[in-house]
Amino acid sequence: MTLSTPPFSSDAADQERWKRAQDRLYVACQCVGWGIFLGVQSLFVTVFAEHSDVERGWFLNLCGLLRVVTLGLLLTHYSRRFIGRWGWKNLGWLALVPRMALLSLGLSVVWSGVGFAFHYLVEGGPISKDYSVGLMFLVSTINGTIVFLSWYFAYFIYHLFDRFNRSEIERLRLANVVKEAELRALKSQVNPHFIFNSLNSVRALIDEDPARSRQAVTQLANLLRYSLQSGQRETVSFEDELAVVNDYLALEQVRHEERLRLRLDVAPETLNLPVPTMVLQTLVENAIKYGISARPEGGEITISARIEDEALCIIVTNPGQLSFAATTDRSHRSTRLGLRNAEARLQLLFGDRARVSLRQFAPDVVAADIVVPLRSADIARIVPPVAPPRRPVSV
Amino acid sequence: MKALLIDDERLARNELRRLLAVAGDIEIVGEATNASQAREQLAALKPDLIFLDVQMPGENGLEFLEALEAPVPHVIFTTAYDEFAVKAFEFNALDYLLKPVDPARLAAALEKLRERGPAADRSVEPPQERLSPDDKVFVREGERCWFVQVKSIRLLESEGNYTRVHFDDAQPQLFRSLNAMESRLDPKTFFRANRRQMINLQWIEKIEPWFSGGLLVELKGGAKVELSRRQAQDFRERMSL
Repeated sequence: MTLSTPPFSSDAADQERWKRAQDRLYVACQCVGWGIFLGVQSLFVTVFAEHSDVERGWFLNLCGLLRVVTLGLLLTHYSRRFIGRWGWKNLGWLALVPRMALLSLGLSVVWSGVGFAFHYLVEGGPISKDYSVGLMFLVSTINGTIVFLSWYFAYFIYHLFDRFNRSEIERLRLANVVKEAELRALKSQVNPHFIFNSLNSVRALIDEDPARSRQAVTQLANLLRYSLQSGQRETVSFEDELAVVNDYLALEQVRHEERLRLRLDVAPETLNLPVPTMVLQTLVENAIKYGISARPEGGEITISARIEDEALCIIVTNPGQLSFAATTDRSHRSTRLGLRNAEARLQLLFGDRARVSLRQFAPDVVAADIVVPLRSADIARIVPPVAPPRRPVSV
Repeated sequence: MKALLIDDERLARNELRRLLAVAGDIEIVGEATNASQAREQLAALKPDLIFLDVQMPGENGLEFLEALEAPVPHVIFTTAYDEFAVKAFEFNALDYLLKPVDPARLAAALEKLRERGPAADRSVEPPQERLSPDDKVFVREGERCWFVQVKSIRLLESEGNYTRVHFDDAQPQLFRSLNAMESRLDPKTFFRANRRQMINLQWIEKIEPWFSGGLLVELKGGAKVELSRRQAQDFRERMSL
């Protein structure tokens, strides 16, 4: 399942399209909102014209209204910039309402002030014969505050829904990722082909070498148990992972006999470090698949581990050519996918510096690298901090 | 029956050997660990039956069969767990055994072979390059595979380096040129109708005269093939004999 909702799509064009749609909606809302305001005001002016104290023509009245509407529109439009800058879109209602009220009041004072100033300075006339200027100004400011408050309510309700929608989509996407990860975990279990081939070899061994066959049954049991439990634990100590990989390799050696040769070079200080379950196992299985099973003459698999640049570096090599780019073979594709999954899992657990990659190590040797960055606790344990210079103790 | 075991694992071959010891009439004449060894053994030992591991280093079992020039003996596939191969086998009712092999399944597979009778007796036949009508060839396309009896092939059509083979309800493509196929098929049965097509004379349903001295041959199953005048002359001579 893929969710291709613009805000989360990696496609920049989709993001752009989403933004444009939002802008169009904004412009439409502004026009409609202020249009309604203008309509209602015009109606008032016309209907209550006879009660109006000032005898002005309808044209002048309309001009006045247009001026008021334009100013309101500009004020709300440019206030968005400050709303964005102050981060109000991410506030909750409780924090937002008083801020909205204050902003509306402030804008309303400006709105009324400019209107009154224009009236007095340019048109040069009093507004009302009956009421004082102060009262008129107060009424105008309260009206303006209500208008702006409505505007901001509409604005923030939209953003609240937008945010809710986005978080909903994000939640679905995460659920999806989790499901995929579970599926992957299932798939990363031991290859069934290997299990049945091993059982076949073990059956042949029962007559030939009973002691070895008993040992092989134990090793297969260890491997299956580990693989079945791998879904429950995210990380294990490198030592545990290595033990299981050793069992696995012993079983492969029963099958491939002299075609499979092994070399291990593991630094002792790496053994206590955490690694994701089955990550080495996956790479060693790949190494056997391409380096041994596919080659009649077999070859050597090496596993080395050491600490380098505050990270655990594990290298698995096998004979062969790194010819992934050109091939579309199903099993090669699944291998690449397997590696990507291993890397994603590693990065989820150990951060962006974690890495799983393949490279041509030597003309006929392919190497798989796993880089697991050390956590600070591990660094402290493995690389003891430089002892502070001993200070003479004053008595 | 003479049997050849083809498997890259020594233990797997041993196990099969042990299982086959119970069946009295199977004589294991050889073992091979990979495709090229198997080809040599096949030519040298002429077994009636091969046990063929699907997963092998280098060429796998299916690729080995596909590339086989000689007629294919009876084949019983062995595989540990190969979803795709097993699907193909089930689809075409080919014989396969899952490892570790169940003795009862093995006995049933051998029984089926005995009922079918021995494969064409190769020891008395003069060594020949051509396939006889009773010989079988292995054809694979994607995930499907067939053992095709030569006499059931109606028509072969050239498609560049490939040849489309028409038999029963299927027409898979073979990675061989039509010329290469022509050199392997019996000229008494198969006739090159034109540059692109070759027909099995046993499958002709109807022959009609066609323009400018040519012929239009209709095969059982409905395919129509045009013969040019020159080709038609050859054809008439052949049929009148």
